[in-house]
Amino acid sequence: MERLIVALIEGERDQAIEETRKLIDAGFKEEQIISDGVEKAMEQLDTKCTVESFNLLEIMLCGRAVMGVMNELYPSEGLYPPQTKGTVVIAALEGDVHDLGKNILKTVLAASGYRVVDQGKDCSLKQLIDSAQKEGAIAIGISGLVTTVVTQVRQAKKQLDKKGLGYINVLAGGAVLKQASAADLGVDYVAQTAFDGLHYLAQKSGENNE
Amino acid sequence: MNSLERIKATIQFQKTDRVPVIAQVFGHASTFAGVNLREYISDGAVLARGQLRALEHYQYDAVFALMDVNVESEAVGSRLTYRENEYPVIKSYVAESTELKDLRIPDPRQAGRMPELLKAAGILNNEVGDAVLVVGCVVGPMTLATQLLGMERALYLAIDDPETFEKWLDFSTDVCIRFGTAQLESGVHLPIVFDPASTPDVIPPQFYREFVMPHVKRVFRTFKKAGSLANWLHTAGPVASILPYYSQIGVDIANIDYCVDPLHAIEIVPKTCIDGNIKPFSFMQETPGAIARESSKLIKIFADRGGFILSSGCEIPRESKPENITAMVMETRQEGN
Repeated sequence: MERLIVALIEGERDQAIEETRKLIDAGFKEEQIISDGVEKAMEQLDTKCTVESFNLLEIMLCGRAVMGVMNELYPSEGLYPPQTKGTVVIAALEGDVHDLGKNILKTVLAASGYRVVDQGKDCSLKQLIDSAQKEGAIAIGISGLVTTVVTQVRQAKKQLDKKGLGYINVLAGGAVLKQASAADLGVDYVAQTAFDGLHYLAQKSGENNE
Repeated sequence: MNSLERIKATIQFQKTDRVPVIAQVFGHASTFAGVNLREYISDGAVLARGQLRALEHYQYDAVFALMDVNVESEAVGSRLTYRENEYPVIKSYVAESTELKDLRIPDPRQAGRMPELLKAAGILNNEVGDAVLVVGCVVGPMTLATQLLGMERALYLAIDDPETFEKWLDFSTDVCIRFGTAQLESGVHLPIVFDPASTPDVIPPQFYREFVMPHVKRVFRTFKKAGSLANWLHTAGPVASILPYYSQIGVDIANIDYCVDPLHAIEIVPKTCIDGNIKPFSFMQETPGAIARESSKLIKIFADRGGFILSSGCEIPRESKPENITAMVMETRQEGN
């Protein structure tokens, strides 16, 4: 399992897939490979990637390797193994077509045990909220790289409250939104990185389980 | 001392009458031209008009012949989606349909919006070029490569097939050099190199050193030979970890974003002029008093050292409150020696 973890952290996709096959041949169950391999690798990457040393390239390479392993384990289900930590709906809002950061968040959350529903880029706030309601989401993640989405972000929590969905946490991130405070945006949390967002969700999940 | 003299002296760490101030006003100037953003970034005469009116209003020390970050990619062959009041975005990357060997370096006098940008440079030079810094813009080789290939494909290519990626960087460097040189011929004092895809948020410093640095160095060396007043590098984001490479690259002005500690930057590049670093979002969100305080703080930090241009950390958002930009400019009048 340690070799799989190292391959994932170093972003070595082919090697990670090879190690996964060996583990399956050795009788390991898919769930165990996820919890003891993939999730452990994400935890170690998380420790390595402080806000100061976070960079997309390393996360992308790790993410690609993780997806390779996921597809190996669940060839018919794509990225999503059976998750237990809750559903997060993510999107880049109307007017914003940048989705790299959002995709990174998707990978980090999915590899850490969350079910992620991706509403894509240029998504209306209504569509995002409807999706969160329909999917029974515990949180919404909004990525923003352009200033024009700020007005929409400020409406998110208000719209959720109106629908009686105020318990759904709203996380914002991305180059523009992370310059603002949660109070500025009227959201629950502003994440500096994908892992920062993950920590917030983990903390919230912990509170709810207490 | 006029603005141009003030900037020149500051780059040389010489005494000036006050701290120079450059508001990174790009799309925000469309409101001064009385047009939407789409028209502003499509028409050189309109862009120049907006810049000149904004200069007249704010009285800062530089104007920008700068449209958006997709001018070069479009000129090479990427297709853009234009929107009324947003910068255009890439609809299809040229690499999706064309191989590198079939691409040509675009002629800045004919390709895409490049001629309009050169027109803006010429007008700005004619109108204020003897007294105010006229800044052009090229995107850096790394940023252009990501805009020809797409960010994900570019980064994966760099890891999976570095030799091929180098070829894309070489091509991108040639595009930057050709466009920047044409801008210098058209009247800019210097083309700023804007290279957000090289930020440590995207690539680690080792990647920067191996892949990016040699290309940016080549760009700046060529610009200097072509008469550029100074090499101004704007990488954006938390650049502290790549600042040590700036002297090797030949950077004369280092932009630092809001997330870089100015004192730390001074330690790393003690002999390089620094511009920055008020948080761009604060021009939308804060009050003039808060902007004035932040400006004053920065002026004090650099008071003994010199070599400082007061500015925002990155582009001042289009929706910024004008009184906040004025507050930054006015602070240099009040205490900036």
